[in-house]
Amino acid sequence: MILAGRILLGISLVVLWEVLHRWLGPGVLAGLYEIALRIAEITRDGRLFRHGGVTLYESFAGLAIGGSLGLALPFLLRLSPRAEQALSPFIGAAMGVPKLALAPLVILWFGIGLASKIAFVAAVVFFLIFFSTMAGLHATEPRLLAVARLMGAGRWLLLREILFPSAVPYVLASLKIAAPRALSAAVVGEFVASDAGLGFYIRDAMDQADTIGIFAGVVVVTVVTVIVNEGLERLQRAALGWREVGLGGF
Amino acid sequence: MDMKAHAPFLEVEGLAKRFAAKAGRGESLSVIEDLSLSVSEGEFVTVVGPSGSGKSTLLNMLAQIDRPSAGSVRLRGETILGPQSGPLVPGWNCQIGYVTQEDNLLPWRRLEENILFPLRAQGRLDEAARERVAALVELAGLKGFERFYPSELSGGMRKRASLVRTLSYDPPVILMDEPFGALDAQTRMQLHADLLRMWNVKRKTIVFVTHDIAEAIALGDRVLVLSRAPAKVIAEHRVDIPRPREIDHLVLAPGFAALFDRIRQALI
Repeated sequence: MILAGRILLGISLVVLWEVLHRWLGPGVLAGLYEIALRIAEITRDGRLFRHGGVTLYESFAGLAIGGSLGLALPFLLRLSPRAEQALSPFIGAAMGVPKLALAPLVILWFGIGLASKIAFVAAVVFFLIFFSTMAGLHATEPRLLAVARLMGAGRWLLLREILFPSAVPYVLASLKIAAPRALSAAVVGEFVASDAGLGFYIRDAMDQADTIGIFAGVVVVTVVTVIVNEGLERLQRAALGWREVGLGGF
Repeated sequence: MDMKAHAPFLEVEGLAKRFAAKAGRGESLSVIEDLSLSVSEGEFVTVVGPSGSGKSTLLNMLAQIDRPSAGSVRLRGETILGPQSGPLVPGWNCQIGYVTQEDNLLPWRRLEENILFPLRAQGRLDEAARERVAALVELAGLKGFERFYPSELSGGMRKRASLVRTLSYDPPVILMDEPFGALDAQTRMQLHADLLRMWNVKRKTIVFVTHDIAEAIALGDRVLVLSRAPAKVIAEHRVDIPRPREIDHLVLAPGFAALFDRIRQALI
């Protein structure tokens, strides 16, 4: 049933696309066949992997840097509640800054190479991970901490055995939001200034009024995002195995 | 009332806990007032009181999770807690174990890792300790479940695990806060028997809090009765039922019914 519905919906979308394509003209909506041909072409000539590789590299490097900072800082703040209190309004304000609007500034600071995109992705990812990790730490059961302390656990053990595992579900949930954002941020960064990457490819197509090229680029970014999400989904299932509970039990 | 037969091991004197007035709650709240008790080494003392009589608060203060407003706690004659003493030392350097109402197992750790947690935390996990714990696990009927997560175990098994976890590191004093409260009657009785069996192997000093009179008599050498809040000890009864006790037939033991009735009267 579900499969049949999916196939039906898929076919309808394809038909609708093609109708709109004929009606609005290829300059507005590229034909699916042409898009597919273009993707095949850039796959053959290596551009797909070159540009895709650059964008993926920027995304993952930014995700790794921004993610680890966003993960580590809440734990450091946890060691000093006073520092946390002092810092929190500033971090809140920084959260309010529209990060995408900072792209031009980051390019000015770091140049048009990979570094600027990595820094930009890191900034976007940092705040997402930081706030979720913070929320995860605050959601730690005080009972568990009290009992562990009672049994002789020191600061390091509390961190590793209780605070960190408590934060993990939050971190993973935010990672699933952060990963697509990281890819988008890399692409946006490439729009602004770059000489490689999927964003560069799309931007280049736009400069040439190449609608097919724009769509091909968007499709590739989408597919990459879906694949990355699926990977994270599996990671989450593996990491939270302890939560799988059957109702009732014995 | 009984005379104290042995030198006091754990002494509580003039303990009080008051909560300050807060917005929307006019007066300050006095939960415990001038509570004194003493427990000798190896004694199993049960404390009964109406719900809301500050039983958990009492244990939290003994465990140094909470600070008293007045009074002091002495262990082996040494003052370990007073209203003016320094920072709280939860568990007084692993001298005081605490089995709480909730099992408080780490949900992301398997049973085995949960039970070994205190020994690992205290850096005392060696081969001998592992063997001792394995014996306790077997005694508690948990053998074969070492690789399970807490969420995969029944409530009774989690309670046993929480008990074994505290027994495993051998604190001289163990506090228990209605550890079997949420269980069905059958499982409860089984756990009473298990607890007494484990206690028999190594007689720890136990302060066991409950609102269940039958439980208090079944387990204790001595039953202390608390008043309604502000709580203090209003009666004390020695339980003369000989050990080892047959939990299943305890209600038939001579003196049980009379004692039950006397405690019930005191609680009203």
